[in-house]
Amino acid sequence: MRLIIILVMILIGPSVQAGHDIDSIIFKAADYHYRGQLDAAVLEFERAIKIAPDNHFARNQLALLYAKKERFDDALCEFSKVASHESHNTFALQWIGILKLKQNQLEDAFQNFAAIIKIDPAHAEAYYFLGSIYNCRHNPAKAIEYLQKARDADTDEAATHYRLGRAFLQAEMPLNARLEYERALAINPKYTRVINEIGWIFYNQGALDTAVSKWRQTLKINPQDREAGLNIAKAYNELAWQALSAGKRKEAINFWKKTLKVNPRNKAARYYLKKHGK
Amino acid sequence: MNRRHFLKTGLQWGVGLWVFNPLLVLSQTSLDSGLQAQKLMTARNYSKAVELLKKAVQQDPENDWLLGMLGRALKGAGHSREAVKSFRAAVRLNPEDTYSKMMIDQMTQHPLPVPAKKPVKKQTPLEKQAAQEAELILKKLKTPQGLDYQVRRVVIDAGHGGFDPGAVSKGGLKEKDITLDLALRLDQMLKKQGRIKSFLTRTGDYYVPLSARTATANQHHADLFISLHINAFTKPSAHGSETYFCSQKASTKEAARVAASENAVLKYDQTARKSPGHIDIEAILFKFEQKNYWNESGRVAKIFQQGFKKELPLKSRGINSADFYVLRKSKMPSILLETGFISNPQDESKLKKDAFRQQIAQSVVKGLACV
Repeated sequence: MRLIIILVMILIGPSVQAGHDIDSIIFKAADYHYRGQLDAAVLEFERAIKIAPDNHFARNQLALLYAKKERFDDALCEFSKVASHESHNTFALQWIGILKLKQNQLEDAFQNFAAIIKIDPAHAEAYYFLGSIYNCRHNPAKAIEYLQKARDADTDEAATHYRLGRAFLQAEMPLNARLEYERALAINPKYTRVINEIGWIFYNQGALDTAVSKWRQTLKINPQDREAGLNIAKAYNELAWQALSAGKRKEAINFWKKTLKVNPRNKAARYYLKKHGK
Repeated sequence: MNRRHFLKTGLQWGVGLWVFNPLLVLSQTSLDSGLQAQKLMTARNYSKAVELLKKAVQQDPENDWLLGMLGRALKGAGHSREAVKSFRAAVRLNPEDTYSKMMIDQMTQHPLPVPAKKPVKKQTPLEKQAAQEAELILKKLKTPQGLDYQVRRVVIDAGHGGFDPGAVSKGGLKEKDITLDLALRLDQMLKKQGRIKSFLTRTGDYYVPLSARTATANQHHADLFISLHINAFTKPSAHGSETYFCSQKASTKEAARVAASENAVLKYDQTARKSPGHIDIEAILFKFEQKNYWNESGRVAKIFQQGFKKELPLKSRGINSADFYVLRKSKMPSILLETGFISNPQDESKLKKDAFRQQIAQSVVKGLACV
């Protein structure tokens, strides 16, 4: 234990130079934080910044704890203090951006993330948020640009691949979308949102069986996934209607029966099966 | 602490098993390397320690102690980005590793050095196809600057259908027939214009469940969902047009239920991003998206209703927010248009006319141009 504390003191470096006490307090506070004892951690970090008000690490950690305790205004205030003293503190800037997103302040959030990439051109998180904001504004060209940068800076984030896949779909680039979705699944095979989206890619290409198998895969992972069940129901209902319009009544009936297997309360299938099933 | 305990028991077991089981030679070697690396780090020979620890991690990739130490050695050698990666790997294996966590938090306060470019790997068939697709499409893709909301794909939803006629006038005029006619006209106009792509939730007189309508919108990644309806009221005097949009205030209980169900999905997604505080960033982004779409829906509703007021011979009843399933479940801004009251004799006679229906469709197209 003592050895670790000594090492921490050496490694924390110039930001923690208010003496041995402050180092011990910070380590103790961090330990409480990581163990989930948030109240105790808040008290220790508050003590730390009273002793060393310029310790940005301690102040950032305190701000983060405030955010965890849903004291968002206090959190924003502390992060802002760090950012105003140390303009290149990307940690504080990132969290200010996130809290601005939480407050639905689009422009402010955007400006904070944009400021980070000026300081750190390889900041995956900042690119991720900028790309996500553009995604949300349905501007696929910009979303792709930023999310590709986020992906290139950190290839291990499934969420980045997922959002990039969505941007590609908005740009009508299904092959690129599929590629990103498969990369997301290689990281997290249980990413059901991604599996559902891959289902739509196949469905839009006319590969119904593959699409349905994808949605069924989601239901295996999470039987409560309403979206996957409803997607299958929609696909079968549409096929039933197409079959009926082409005079293939038996085929249509078969599809409605399949609809009811996944969505027993499906009004359309129940009604049409009753009407044409005899 | 954990590490000390690991070392102690590891040594006991390692030595014990070394004697009895020659198959465990490899794990013993990685432990040896770890101990040797510790000595090297004490002597500030970080690059040698990194070399040794990398080999040890290769032998024993699930060893958080080695990964944590590799992080320290990398940091000492000045490879901050790699060090953070190693500390993160250690924390993934041992979430109680306070030291590695603290190192990540401390080191990510400021910019990390730009990573070296990775060597290009041989492309898979899908990667090749995707590259060709990108070459073709990305150049042509318009890149609007700024944060304005972009609309290029619209899903048009003809309300009701099949066994669900919607509202029916005294003269027998059915809402489902008018909405389908309006949807088809609108679709045709947009296809002719070519600026905005349109998709229909139904193309004939059949019933489409509400869930399937929103699924269609999500299927096509539409930028806007427009649901077409005709109003009705018990009092025949009620008349005019109005536009609805979904808002957060529409139903707090329902919104909470929806949020709970969305969170249940998030549990399976396990997409919480690596963040110092482990706050669910994806949930924050999801809520931001939802609020953003609701705000946008309100803005779009206003544009359409202003158009109706100017261009249609109907009284404008303004815009309203309400809790419609089709609006709430779409992953995009959604509006519901009520162009006239079928229960009002004057509105009904207008709705029967082709020219009036064409006027409504034109007004919607104009509205889309202003969005």
